Amino acid sequence: MNSFWRIFSLELTAAVRSKSLLLLLIASVAWMVAAPFLFVGDGTVEGSRALAVHYSLGGVAALLAVSLLASATGSIAGERSAKRLQLTLVRPVHYIVVALAKMAALVSLGALVLAAATAVEACRSDLSRPCRHVLSPILPTPREEAVMAYEAFMSNPDTPAAAKRAKKQVVLRLLAQRALDRYETIGTNSVAKWNFKVEEASAQADGLAVRLRFTNAYDIRQDVRGELLLRIGGSLWSGSVSNITQAVVEVPLVRIREGTVCCGTAELTFRNIGGSAVMLRPRRDVNLLSPADGFGWNLIRAYVELVAMLSILVAFGVFLGAGLGRPVALFTAIVALIVSEMSPSVIEQYPDELETDRLDAIGLYITRAAAEATHPISSLVPLEKLSEDACIERREVLRTATANMVFAPLILALLAALAMPRKVEV
Amino acid sequence: MNEEIVISLKGVRKTFRDFWLRPTVNAVDGLDLSVRRGEVFGLLGPNGSGKSTTIKMILGLLDPTAGEVLMFGRSPRSLSARARLGYLPELSYMHPFLTARETLMYYAGLCGLSRNEGAKRTAELLAMVKLEDVANRAVGGFSKGMARRVALASALVGRPELLVLDEPTSGLDPVSTKEVKMLVKALAANGMTILMTSHLLADAEDVCDRVMILNHGKAVAEGRVAELGGSLEDFFLAKVGSADEFVLADFLS
Ligand SMILES: Nc1ncnc2c1ncn2[C@@H]1O[C@H](COP(=O)(O)OP(=O)(O)OP(=O)(O)O)[C@@H](O)[C@H]1O
Ligand SMILES: [Mg+2]
Repeated sequence: MNSFWRIFSLELTAAVRSKSLLLLLIASVAWMVAAPFLFVGDGTVEGSRALAVHYSLGGVAALLAVSLLASATGSIAGERSAKRLQLTLVRPVHYIVVALAKMAALVSLGALVLAAATAVEACRSDLSRPCRHVLSPILPTPREEAVMAYEAFMSNPDTPAAAKRAKKQVVLRLLAQRALDRYETIGTNSVAKWNFKVEEASAQADGLAVRLRFTNAYDIRQDVRGELLLRIGGSLWSGSVSNITQAVVEVPLVRIREGTVCCGTAELTFRNIGGSAVMLRPRRDVNLLSPADGFGWNLIRAYVELVAMLSILVAFGVFLGAGLGRPVALFTAIVALIVSEMSPSVIEQYPDELETDRLDAIGLYITRAAAEATHPISSLVPLEKLSEDACIERREVLRTATANMVFAPLILALLAALAMPRKVEV
Repeated sequence: MNEEIVISLKGVRKTFRDFWLRPTVNAVDGLDLSVRRGEVFGLLGPNGSGKSTTIKMILGLLDPTAGEVLMFGRSPRSLSARARLGYLPELSYMHPFLTARETLMYYAGLCGLSRNEGAKRTAELLAMVKLEDVANRAVGGFSKGMARRVALASALVGRPELLVLDEPTSGLDPVSTKEVKMLVKALAANGMTILMTSHLLADAEDVCDRVMILNHGKAVAEGRVAELGGSLEDFFLAKVGSADEFVLADFLS
C-alpha cells in the first residue's frame, strides 16, 4: 500500500512540476467558457443549451481522452526508455501495484481536470432544472426476438431450402438488426399496448408524459390522432395525441383516477382515432417520461460516467505501454480509439448483405470484433442524455463505474504486470 | 538451499535476437558463477563482454535464454529476494523533477520504509554521500558525479544485504572514486555482499575479494585477488589478450 501511494504521488508530482496539469486545466476551462459562443444552436434556448452542454464537456472529454491515452502509454514505456523502470522493478513491489498506481494517478488527474470543467458547467446552469427518466417499453431484447423469428423461419415449410442453409449467426444478426427497427402498425380504431417498468416514487409524482413519433408506409406527412391511457395499479392517466407523422411529440398525461400505485408496471395503450393506419418502432419511437431529480445530479452522474470512460482508456494505455515500446503503444492506442469511434458506423453502413465478397467479409468480421471489444469506450459518452435533460440512471452509472473503474483496470493491470518485467530496456 | 550462496548462476546463456527473432549476439554464453555471503565479487571484462547483461539477469530484469539464475536461493523476481537487494545501474537514471531528498524518500517508500524511517534514512545517506547542501535541488540539474552519488545512496536506502554495482565509479573524480571505494570496503566490512563490475582494474584490485573475467560472454578466469601473484592488470591482459582501452582507462583515471 505504501508503494502504491509513493508511485501514485510521484506521477502526480511529475504532472504538476512538468506543468502539464496546469496546461490541461487552462485549456479545459478556456474551452468550457468559449464553447457556448462557438456553437450556436437552432435558435431555441433549449437547442443552444443542449448544444453547448454537448460540445463544451464533450470537447474537454475528448481532449482528456487523447492526452491521458498518450500519457498512459508513456507511463511505463516512457519510464522504460528513460531506463528508470528498472529502478522500480528491482524494489520489493508487486508489478501489479506499479501498474495500478500509475493508472490511478492518471485517472485522478483526468478526474480533477474534468471536475474543473464540470464546475464551470454547474456555475452557468440552473442546477434544479428538472430531468426526466426516459423509459422504453419492456420488450424482449433484439437478440431474443431474433432467435424467436429464426425458429419460426426455420420451421416454416414455405421457407426456401436455400434460405434455410444460410449461416445461423449471420441470419440472427440480421434479424436482431431488424428487430431494433421493427415497425408496429396501428390501424384505425385499433389499440396498441406497451408495458413499462416504473419506480413507484416517480409514478406518484405529477408530470408523467409520453413521447411519440409516428410514421406511415408512404413517407408523407399525415395527421395522427389518438388517445393515450396509462394504468399503474389502480391509477389511471390519460392524454390525447394530435400531431403529424415524422414529428416527435410529447403528450402530458393527466390523472383521471386516483388509486393504489403498485406492482411497478405501467401499462400504456394508444387508440388510433385518426383516418388511417400509422406505424412506429416500439424500441425507438415510444417513451414514457417521468420526473427525476435535477440537472445538478445528472451532471454529477455524467461526470462519473466520463471518469469511467477515461479510466478504461488509461488502463488500456498503461497495459499497452507495459508490453510495447512507447511509439508502438501510442500508435496502437490511437488506432484503437479511432476504430472504436468508427466501427459502429462502418457496420451500420455495410450490412451483412454485402458479405458476398470474401475480402469484404473478413474486413467486416474484424471491424465487428473491434466494435464489440471497444463497445465500453464508444458507448459510454453520456452527454447525449445530459444535454437532453434525460436522467442518467443511477444503476447504469454504477454498472459502468464498476466495470470500467474496477474490473477492467484490474484485469489490464494484471496483464501489464505479466508483461512489465519481461520487456526491459537494456 | 545454501544460505551462504547469495547469487548463483548455472549454465546461463543470453542470446539477443532481432525483430525476426534471429539471434544477433550471444551476450552471455554458458556462465557459472556463485557469490558467497559477505564477499566483494568483481565482474571484469572489456566493453561488450556481457557484464551488464549478466547483472540484469541476476536482478531479474532480463530472462536468461537458458540456465538458472538464483538470488538468495530464489527467483530474482520474488519479492523476498528483491527486498534484500540494492542496485546501482551503469548510468544514473533519475526522475529529473525530484530533488535529491525526494528521490531517496521515494525509493525508501518502495522499500517499505515508513515516512519517518524514510526521512531518517534519507538524512543519514545524504550525509554519507555528502549531498546535504544540495539535498533540495532537483536532480535533473545535477552533474554526473552528483547524480552518481544520489543513485548510490538510493541503492543503499533499503539496507540491502546484497549490493549490485554496475560501474560504481564511472563519472566520478579521483577523490570521489576513492571515497566510493572506501565506502564499498566499509559496507563489506559490515557484512554486506557486493557484486560490482568495473573497467578500472586498480579499483577492482583494491576492493574485491574475488574476481571473474569475462570475454565474449564467457568466463575466461576466476580467482581470489590475493592469490593472483602479479598485478591484476597483467593477469587481465594475459587472459583477455589485448590491451584495448583498459590501459587507457587506467591511464586517464
Ligand atoms: N538489449 C540488447 N539488445 C541487443 N544486444 C544487446 C542488448 N544489450 C546488450 N547487448 C549486446 O550484448 C553484449 C554485451 O553487452 P553488455 O552491456 O552486457 O556489455 P558490458 O560488458 O556491460 O559492456 P560495457 O563495459 O561497455 O558496459 C554486447 O555485444 C551488446 O551489444
Ligand atoms: Mg556494462
